[in-house]
Amino acid sequence: MTPDSLRSVRQARSSRSLPADRPRPGVLNGLSHAALAVWALLIVAPLLWTFLASFKSNTEIFGDALQLPGELRLDAWGRAWGKAHVGRYLLNTAVVVAVSTFGTMLFGSMAAYVLARYRFPGSRVIYYYFTAGMAFPVFLALGPLFFVVKRVGLLYTHTGVILVYIAYSLPFTVFFLAAFFRTLPESVAEAARIDGASHTRTFFQIMLPMARAGLVSITIFNVLGQWNQYLLPLVLLARDQEDWVITQGIANISTLAGYEADWPGLFAAVCMAVLPVLVVYVVFQRQIQSGLGAGALK
Amino acid sequence: MERWRTYGFVAGFLAVPIVLYTVFVISPYVQAFQISLTDWNGIAARPAYVGLDNFGRLLGDEVFWRALRNHGILLLVLPIATIVIALFFAFVLNLGGGARGPGMAGVRGSGFYRVVFFFPQVLAVAVVGVLFKAVYRPDESGVINGALIRLGMEPVGWLIEPDLALWSIIAVMVWQAVGFYVVLFSAGMAAIPKDYFEAAALDGAGRVRLFFSITLPLLRDTVQVGWVYLGIAAFDGFALIQVLAGEKGEPDGATTVLPIEIWKNAFSYSKVGYASAMGVALFFLTVTFAVLTLRTTRRERIDL
Amino acid sequence: MTHPGEITRRQLIRRIGLAALVVGPGAGLLSGCATGGGEEPAAPVTSATGSADPRNPFGVDARKPLKVTIFSGGYGDAYAKEIHEALYKKEFPGAAVEHNATQQISTQLRPLFVSGDVPDVVNNSGPQALDLVALAEQGHLADLTALFDAPSIDDPAKKIRDVVTPAVLDNAKIDGKDLVLNYTVSHRALWYNAKLFAAKGWTVPRTWAEFTALGDKAKAEGILLFAYPGQKGPYYQLWNVLYTAAKIGGNQAVIDIDNLVDGAWKTEPVKQAVTAWVDIQAKYGDKAYFGLDHTQTQVKHLQDKLLFYPVGSWIENEMAKDKPDGFEYAIAPIPDVTAADKMPYGAIQVGVGENFFVAARGKNPQGGLEYLRIMLSKDGARGFTEKTQNLTVVNGAAEGLDLPPGLRSAAKAQDAAGQNIITDARFEGWYKELFDYGTEQINVVMAGRITPDEFCSRMQAKADTIKKDGSVPKQTRGE
Repeated sequence: MTPDSLRSVRQARSSRSLPADRPRPGVLNGLSHAALAVWALLIVAPLLWTFLASFKSNTEIFGDALQLPGELRLDAWGRAWGKAHVGRYLLNTAVVVAVSTFGTMLFGSMAAYVLARYRFPGSRVIYYYFTAGMAFPVFLALGPLFFVVKRVGLLYTHTGVILVYIAYSLPFTVFFLAAFFRTLPESVAEAARIDGASHTRTFFQIMLPMARAGLVSITIFNVLGQWNQYLLPLVLLARDQEDWVITQGIANISTLAGYEADWPGLFAAVCMAVLPVLVVYVVFQRQIQSGLGAGALK
Repeated sequence: MERWRTYGFVAGFLAVPIVLYTVFVISPYVQAFQISLTDWNGIAARPAYVGLDNFGRLLGDEVFWRALRNHGILLLVLPIATIVIALFFAFVLNLGGGARGPGMAGVRGSGFYRVVFFFPQVLAVAVVGVLFKAVYRPDESGVINGALIRLGMEPVGWLIEPDLALWSIIAVMVWQAVGFYVVLFSAGMAAIPKDYFEAAALDGAGRVRLFFSITLPLLRDTVQVGWVYLGIAAFDGFALIQVLAGEKGEPDGATTVLPIEIWKNAFSYSKVGYASAMGVALFFLTVTFAVLTLRTTRRERIDL
Repeated sequence: MTHPGEITRRQLIRRIGLAALVVGPGAGLLSGCATGGGEEPAAPVTSATGSADPRNPFGVDARKPLKVTIFSGGYGDAYAKEIHEALYKKEFPGAAVEHNATQQISTQLRPLFVSGDVPDVVNNSGPQALDLVALAEQGHLADLTALFDAPSIDDPAKKIRDVVTPAVLDNAKIDGKDLVLNYTVSHRALWYNAKLFAAKGWTVPRTWAEFTALGDKAKAEGILLFAYPGQKGPYYQLWNVLYTAAKIGGNQAVIDIDNLVDGAWKTEPVKQAVTAWVDIQAKYGDKAYFGLDHTQTQVKHLQDKLLFYPVGSWIENEMAKDKPDGFEYAIAPIPDVTAADKMPYGAIQVGVGENFFVAARGKNPQGGLEYLRIMLSKDGARGFTEKTQNLTVVNGAAEGLDLPPGLRSAAKAQDAAGQNIITDARFEGWYKELFDYGTEQINVVMAGRITPDEFCSRMQAKADTIKKDGSVPKQTRGE
């Protein structure tokens, strides 16, 4: 639309709709602003409360919820950092999730690509074979999985956990990306092939970049899912406390808080676990949202 | 020749994913299916096969049916509530500001809201659990009840009244999920060509009508995808219930779901065979749900 | 078990390690005759163990590593790491000790038992403890007879079975074999703040009428008479109700429940006990506590928001960090419910706890037995008491230690109780499903959602189901 026609459209609209519409936007606006503000408050309030609680004493935590901490006590943060090894766990988690997400995306997109765009005997069967995995409840496999990982000699190692994370992320990743690859135009790949590019090169240099939007959104999905995974590491990293990931750490402090009554310590640890994720999210939120958005367009 | 090269490429690309998936996902589940036919207690070296006994017992287990009923509630309420709220916010954030500049715009501050709404999505369940235990505490030290008492109202036993507990937990699930779907739907709305709205606005359509006559129909596909995701989430819901309500789906098992029962039987009562039978049942339920949903939406594939 | 009359008071007191604390007359008997069932320790049996060397009776290989897994709950795991494992290393400097502390005992250890890579010593406690009966059935638990017959480290002339409290020997048995070592001693009844009572001039109620009268007085001051944690700790109240039933109808009430006797849940004493506490909750309770867990309730207790809390003597150490100066833990027996209670006022529950076992198919079962023998030495036991402020089953080990007021009050109460010791309910370990169901239903009845009669019927129905379930191995206990 040209600026001219736009202006005329708007003029036309305002002149036509003015009398009938005027009062409604006001009310609606007010209502929607109120709703947005309330929801934002619902999200921020518990987070803020937790943050404040980490400076409170036990007595204050179990007293009036709406009271501010009497003094600024930093010792809970010290305890959470020192005794609960939150820093160590965050680092472990970052390493595990980075590697496993990369692996998931690499293998997942490879499988999804050939399943979506090549016709060969059994392709549908393999596709359903992968997607059936979405319906399995993870902990049903916990016991047998322990022995599988033990047999391949990777029990109590980050490598083992990474491979397992990749395997369990594949169903959804393949499911999602296969649908995505199917929507990409056939012509580009064809042109590349006519130019003499190999299948592998076509995939990595042409199709993957084209699928960038879909890849970003599913990467985020996997990072979140693996970052928050609790059951698998509980069994697969049970032995050495220094290998734990953050969710194990939080669960551990949460239980310990029950036995040792260190609630401020628990809340401090929770803050430490949340803050880096929030910071990363806020820094990257534009990319994350546009990635998710671009994925949604397809 | 070309054909074989293609097959070689396909095999090369599929080999690693299939091996990983078969070894770490399929093989444990196959074993779990076998175990569901035994009376294994988790320790015995040679469990006895009992055929379909475990499944027979399942049908007569009142707790099993209670868990199913809760899955039913979750399956209805979680997607509906989440989608309605998310659609509303997505609409307000993207189009609620009326015509500003060229085309429609969101209300003021929509950038801020979009960021904040997504926060819960990045929190681990363990963290959300700790958070909401504090929020729902039954006396003045709870965040909600503290406020209620200030306002001169009676405190509410959010997690201790059997009629209320499941709803309190669903509220947390919705709280956590809405942000993701706001972003998802926002993207869908951004893709709707602006002149649709212009034209409709020209005809004097208010925002409510804009939403129902343009936005919603064009978002149908995205909403359906959301429904499937949320449905699968409803079949899980294990971790949050365990953290918030307790390992046994307290109070009185009112908040129990199949995963809770599986966990309890396998790890507390050493009835691994029976627990596996429940897992198999859960598997078929999830598959049935997914297939039904996809069928009724009459689409060969899902694309987000 | 020896008849109480044959033991002098001093011997008894020494047995539980409280000689330094004796106040007043009476005989404290740790295990209580009613828990009975244990045989009289066979007099001098020839040492049927691996080695003649009294310093190494099990023939431990001094270089073999030892794996220890500790349930890290209320007692933490420092006592194992810093005391018992250190002592083991002192004895066998060449041996590496691998220490593992966890709360998820079952999740972590069960796969190990199937695969064979088991720890040698396990403290199998907490809500997720392994099913000991199932383990025993598969031969995973080492026979502790050799341990009980081994010479004590402090006095080689004495056997271990002679230096521990007799309840250890009773509770060691699964299917008639000695397989489990209970290590701690605890006193369970109602706990209160002695300083608050002194300040207000209140006395501990001896009858139910006095109990409710005090409830009215406390209510006027904004204090609850009684509360228990509805989350995570409803079993405290299940214990409380069962002990009350035992007080009314004698220990047989609980023993019958343990033995799955028909109608055991529907007896008059059980009904009376449930009804009494449901009435207390209705008139003097606060439903908010249904939503609090044990720690939260205990913090409220420290804030004098409630008078009586049903728990065991570990409470004092658990809350030590938060205890204000104005609070002093003391134990109060359950008041007389009826005028005709079988057990007189003063009866309290004294029991043993924390289940340790040695894995029979571990790499170093001899080392495991020796580890337990070290735990049962005076140094080992005293170290535990110092670290955790809780008593062990080792006779006289706490002598000379400066014990906190709560423990002193427990010792006094036990002394006053004499033979009237309420037995613990064993079905908690035997039929976990029944116990879990009980902890659920006790909340339901206390919240008033069902009547005490319905509670008894439901529990009976569940017990009947368990009794009929052939897949659940059955246990029995004597008088």
